[in-house]
Amino acid sequence: MLMEKGLVENGFIIDLSAAQNTTQLVSELNSIIEHPDVRRKNVCLKLGSLDLKQSQLLSIKALIESKDASIAFVDTSSEQTEASAVSLGIVISKVSEQDIQQNLNENVSEETATEGTGEYNNEENRTVEITPEIELPTGTIETAEGIEDIYDEMSTQEISEVIPSETFNSSDFGSFAAQEGLLPTEENSKYILLDTGNVLPEGIEENSSDNAQLPTLYLNQTLRSGQTVNYNGNIFIIGDAHPGSEIIATGDITVWGILGGIAHAGSEGNITSKVRALKLNAIQLRIAGLYARRNDTMNVPYVQKTNEFTPEEAQIEDGKIVIYKKLRRN
Amino acid sequence: MTGRVIVITSGKGGVGKTTTSANIGTALAKNGYKVVLIDTDLGLRNLDLLLGLENRIVYTIVDVIEERCKLKQALVKDKKNPNLSLLAAAQTRDKTAVNAEQLKDICDKLKEKNDFVLVDCPAGIEQGFQNAVAGASEAIVVTTPEMSAIRDADRIIGLLNTKEDINSTKLLLNRVRPNLIKSNEMMSVDDVVGILEIPLLGIIPEDTGIITSTNKGEPIVNDENALAGKAYRNVAQRILGEEVPFLNLDEPKGFMAKLKNAISKLKVKV
Repeated sequence: MLMEKGLVENGFIIDLSAAQNTTQLVSELNSIIEHPDVRRKNVCLKLGSLDLKQSQLLSIKALIESKDASIAFVDTSSEQTEASAVSLGIVISKVSEQDIQQNLNENVSEETATEGTGEYNNEENRTVEITPEIELPTGTIETAEGIEDIYDEMSTQEISEVIPSETFNSSDFGSFAAQEGLLPTEENSKYILLDTGNVLPEGIEENSSDNAQLPTLYLNQTLRSGQTVNYNGNIFIIGDAHPGSEIIATGDITVWGILGGIAHAGSEGNITSKVRALKLNAIQLRIAGLYARRNDTMNVPYVQKTNEFTPEEAQIEDGKIVIYKKLRRN
Repeated sequence: MTGRVIVITSGKGGVGKTTTSANIGTALAKNGYKVVLIDTDLGLRNLDLLLGLENRIVYTIVDVIEERCKLKQALVKDKKNPNLSLLAAAQTRDKTAVNAEQLKDICDKLKEKNDFVLVDCPAGIEQGFQNAVAGASEAIVVTTPEMSAIRDADRIIGLLNTKEDINSTKLLLNRVRPNLIKSNEMMSVDDVVGILEIPLLGIIPEDTGIITSTNKGEPIVNDENALAGKAYRNVAQRILGEEVPFLNLDEPKGFMAKLKNAISKLKVKV
């Protein structure tokens, strides 16, 4: 997965190859990325020969992303780290000695000069594939647009036979609400679309490619608050995704457990992407360019009883996010 | 001798990390174990106050690190229990005065001569937290039954899971109010354990005695009658590997109390 040399602005090399173990590495990294200059930069990590597991690399990635920065690529001589990086969709490349030398001369801040091992450099000679950060516009307006929740206790139909009973059209409802002087509320729907406009990054078009062709990241762990997974492909998680966690995939997201955080499927515009979970409690559901929030009226217990699970699946239909529940056969 | 290094952390502030450190430390020392408490909350130290040792501090952890004194000189012995000592935080410096490696060194040295080294972690997930967990092999996550504290605890557990050296993470639920749980105004113990999914080490009831004990500099475990003191003593027993049932906070004790309770229930029905 080597990539071509080119130009990248806003880049940094962080040399962590001197670290003996992960604890050292993380504390070193921590002290470097505390620096305010790191914000919104692409970070090139030099990891040396240290073996890092997928979960460890994932948390390092999360750490960097928590500072508003992103990983441009990693430079490692360990096979395990390389495998972990590949499985997380992180680009692997080499930092040349020249780059470091050049950067050292150009730009070393006082703080890092005394750090010793951590080189903290401005890097300008690379092309990096970075998914632009998607940010929710602040002050979103809640509009009642059609999102249906199809659930019929009595029915024994298969999921494919469930047909949305009635759909709201945003314009219909808006004019109706205006006439009646009502606030748009929808007691019954589980998710309400956010009026975020076109949130797809520039240059990315809506598409409906086949997610089955994409690679799948398989994670056997519970995601806790603050942990994020970002993958170029499908994501499959065995475990819960706690509130405060974030899952972003260019393909489908499947959680074998309770999905309580934020899930964004089809993050690069694939409108056929789906989000599935044994229990779909996501704070926000995002599919391609559509963002929806959990309805405030939805009553989520602190702890879900496992025997109450009915697998759910969210997908886009006619410009709305529709949630299907898999019904139990009686 | 190789002692156990346990970090007491929470993410959110004000949930009772320092109170917990002081009480568990005192309870373990009362059981005859040699205990050192380390306050890593540089610039905002409190642990010395809770133990009533503020006036005895000469050297702090920063003095040890910057080699102005020997480690042994900086350990302040407790007033009552010679088994318990405190390594105080510097009040005039901030978190950047110490790094993780240095704190790990201190923990490693202390565990050679003590049974327990308890590290009181500052709030937050930044450098102070990274420092505090560096030398620890076990962690106690303190939380209260509130959503914000639980969310932060969840974050902390996630961070602790990525630390290779930490091989046990346990939950201590603080400031539980049984009457509020009964009336469904507070999350129950089961709810909190269900959300965080880690083993429960103890449940500490809300106790007004904590306030006076903090102000007096006298840990509540020394008060034989206080319920919170008993709960902390039980926690210490569990840390030592004994199986102690959790305190039943729901039912009033004694025959008369039960009778009163039964009568009050009857009245409600009528």
